[in-house]
Amino acid sequence: MIGLKTKELHLSIVVTVFLLILIGLIVLKSISFHHQGSFLSNPFNKQIIFLIPAITLALIIIFIPRYSIHKYSYPFYVIGIIIVLLPFFGDLHSNTFRWLDLGLPFKIQPSEFAKVFTTIALARYLSDHTIQMKKFSSIIIPIGFVLIPTMIVMKQPDLGTAIVMLTPVLPMLYWSGARPFYLFLLVAPIFSILTAFQTFSFSIWACILGLVIILARPTLLMSIILFFGNIFLGLISPMAWNSLTLYQQGRIISFLNPEKDPLGAAYQIIQSKTAIGSGGMFGKGWGQGTQTHLKFLPVQESDFILSVIGEEMGFVVIAIVLVLVCFLILQIIKRAFLSKDRFSSLALIGIGSIMLAHVFVNTAMTVGLIPVKGLPFPFISAGGSFLISSFFMVGLVLNLSINYSD
Amino acid sequence: MLKADNIASIRQYYFASCISCCLIALLIIRFFQLQIVDHDQYSKKANTNRIRKVTSSAPRGLILDRNGQILVANLPTYILNAVPGELPDKGATFDFISKIIGVDSILLARNYKKYYRGRFIPTRIAKDLTFSQISRIEENRLNLEGVYFQKFPERYFPSSVRASHILGYVKEVDKDIRSNLNNPLSYELGDIIGWSGLEKSYENDLKGTHGIQFYQVDAFGREAGYVEEFPPRIPEPGKNIITTIDINMQNSLEQHMVGKRGVIIVGIPLTGEILGAVSNPDFRPDLFTGRILEDEWNNVINNQDKPLLNRFNQGLYPPGSIVKMITEAALLDHPDFDPYSSLLCEGSFQFGDRVFGCWNTLGHGNVDLTSAIMQSCDIYFYKTINYYDLDKLAKFFKGFGFGLITGIDIHGEYKGTVPDTDYMNQRYGRFGWSKGALLNFCIGQGEILVTPIQVFNYTNLLATKGRAKRPHFVMSDTLQNITEPSLPLDVWERIIFDMGQVINNINGTGKNANIDLNNINIFGKTGTAENPHGEDHAWFIGWLELHSQVWSVVVLLENAGSGGTVAAPLAKKVFMDILYNYSNINAMVNK
Repeated sequence: MIGLKTKELHLSIVVTVFLLILIGLIVLKSISFHHQGSFLSNPFNKQIIFLIPAITLALIIIFIPRYSIHKYSYPFYVIGIIIVLLPFFGDLHSNTFRWLDLGLPFKIQPSEFAKVFTTIALARYLSDHTIQMKKFSSIIIPIGFVLIPTMIVMKQPDLGTAIVMLTPVLPMLYWSGARPFYLFLLVAPIFSILTAFQTFSFSIWACILGLVIILARPTLLMSIILFFGNIFLGLISPMAWNSLTLYQQGRIISFLNPEKDPLGAAYQIIQSKTAIGSGGMFGKGWGQGTQTHLKFLPVQESDFILSVIGEEMGFVVIAIVLVLVCFLILQIIKRAFLSKDRFSSLALIGIGSIMLAHVFVNTAMTVGLIPVKGLPFPFISAGGSFLISSFFMVGLVLNLSINYSD
Repeated sequence: MLKADNIASIRQYYFASCISCCLIALLIIRFFQLQIVDHDQYSKKANTNRIRKVTSSAPRGLILDRNGQILVANLPTYILNAVPGELPDKGATFDFISKIIGVDSILLARNYKKYYRGRFIPTRIAKDLTFSQISRIEENRLNLEGVYFQKFPERYFPSSVRASHILGYVKEVDKDIRSNLNNPLSYELGDIIGWSGLEKSYENDLKGTHGIQFYQVDAFGREAGYVEEFPPRIPEPGKNIITTIDINMQNSLEQHMVGKRGVIIVGIPLTGEILGAVSNPDFRPDLFTGRILEDEWNNVINNQDKPLLNRFNQGLYPPGSIVKMITEAALLDHPDFDPYSSLLCEGSFQFGDRVFGCWNTLGHGNVDLTSAIMQSCDIYFYKTINYYDLDKLAKFFKGFGFGLITGIDIHGEYKGTVPDTDYMNQRYGRFGWSKGALLNFCIGQGEILVTPIQVFNYTNLLATKGRAKRPHFVMSDTLQNITEPSLPLDVWERIIFDMGQVINNINGTGKNANIDLNNINIFGKTGTAENPHGEDHAWFIGWLELHSQVWSVVVLLENAGSGGTVAAPLAKKVFMDILYNYSNINAMVNK
């Protein structure tokens, strides 16, 4: 059995992860160069230490029988909800309930694990039920399923992780055969509201909406309701917004952009872009990044680590990193496609979506495409809980991508 | 496990792969744009312009007395910062600075190490510089690359009073302090933070908000103005706090206590406001600002009389006879107790195989309850202990706030000790103590320990028949309730009558505190507390009524003798101060 497994293990995935970790360690060593403080507060040392439990966990996961993963996915979903609720009973850490303090020298972020548990449970739900995926109603329950832990995480507040937790739903529904048109209808109102504040973007959105409705050819009445319903929603949202008091508007803005100091967030983006831009093709050299060593970015070892790579190693290494990540995700999708069992296939798609969401949100933030959201980059950023949960996902990918029926 | 041949179609597979590739490609294109297309622009920005974030400290709020006079203010001083990454040669720069401003270069290097946080963050190397020292730095600007000055508000104390235990002191935030704070982001290294007294209790009001400036810095490290995208945030000064202290009263109390050890507290019973409080010996309030000499500092630290100890709420003392009114209340609670029947005091009392003496070894003769309070007779209380037990008496003491914190707005308050059965069993074992303990307890000796602020609170409760509010040092719109004893009105009135006798009767132990003037009434009680540290502690508690106004006074003199001969005369001086400051009959007072 074990012989079969090791033969079947996909070396390409292991090698890709290894390369990403290696690049991460090289960068962390540079950041730690001027570090003063205790041994564990040095991000390089911390990363090395946390790799031990992370790799151990991945190895254990590989050898767990797949039916056990399937069998215990619901209990783990419940455990996931409980552990994201636990921090609310503890103390505030930097003004959030994200962290669980168990008296260890580091704190644990339970949402990192809950996101994986939720995805696996969703995979089981979508694979167990011989539900009619073509029906609109059958995509509502899975969404509710994921929304419960997501809302709790959002309340912590941790918008970044909440986004990552919610992301796998659409790809998994798509993968399980839901009509793309219905999925489009789900996200359409969000776009209608978001684009409504600018005439140009709203016009473009209205065109896209019309085009999709024409292509999908629902009944005439349905088309009219859908199109004008969305347009109406878009038209009233600026009015609704203006009818809110300044205090309420402030609450919503600070919810969507939790960085308390807007000056600080914009400042970080400028510093990040300057660091990346000044790196050029080949970078300034390891440990030579003048912008990086401005210690103004409070999270350069995790959220802004790509800025460090961009400045010190240049476009070449950035491109290598992103191509490696792309390769890893394509491999996961390929395993999902080749998989002969529905549960594994869906779980692989879910995990792939989580990783892609992390990469996209983190990188887009670093280069100033989206507002600052505190999310780390898989395998490269320093981080205890995040590193362990990333290896947890790698273990699952390796386990689930073995085809027994071959 | 469910098996199916086609989980997803080839079209779905291509679509999913395609979306993933597009997203990653979008990111790569963005990096290409930043790093290759716009490289020159960003490179220039990185090399010739750096944005430096400089925080400036907000002045702390002022601490005012009840009439708006300043107790604690801020003194503008200058600090010198160095940006480590811009210093061409650290040692040479420090030597040069040392030469032009006369500060030891070793000190500069020590500060540099202490405040260092990163290569491009301004690091403090000197503080408390004068304007002329800063001028000399600016004259040599071109030779001092990477060195900048900044204004820094420091605490100073313009008034004539010391009030050091009330006002407390501030500390400089260092790495240790910062990492232990709940809100580390609100403080920078080198900021000041309230560390004791009101400075600590009202830290959130006093501290204010940092200012932040973003400077554009050119290739020579010179600041080239603010960055346009980021307007500076002006430091927001902390809020002022208005204390209940009256500078004049505080000043008189401090004069009275010169050369003495102990506590005086004066306040308004109904509201709990404290007009003045002294814990002596004390220290200069600017002891902690770092501007005083090391010798003086060592004197304070090594002084055996512990000037740093805040005796109001951290000094634990046996109360002696000042708590006899609580015993009185416990006696009156018993239906069979007759306050008018007389008992004979012969100066000593045999209990089991031990003899307990009265303070008056000749004896008081026949005494009833009122004269027992008036003359502070111990034997009367020994002979009446059968009317209550240890736990009942302890309950009455707790009713008056003993054994509990009062909640005074200065940190570190001690609870003291009120012995009940549980306490005695725990301390001496089930059979390690006898009823003799009650004989000590009923006259305020033995295991019982109290803080002066608890005694002040107790005095306020007596003066207001239980309606007093929590003692406090800072004016507040809402007065806090405290534990209060519920006694019948006639018991309150008897206690108050008896306390009047202590002062007004020719045999009263507190007659030395009396002021013979119309319109005013004085009530009080003396205490002479035996203690293991030498001579007795002298106590006086009481209050003065003038028309509808009431002021309460607590005097404690450590190891000074008897309450009636030492504390009562001092209390009289305090009552005179009250009349002098707060009444229009001061002309009559022979000050």
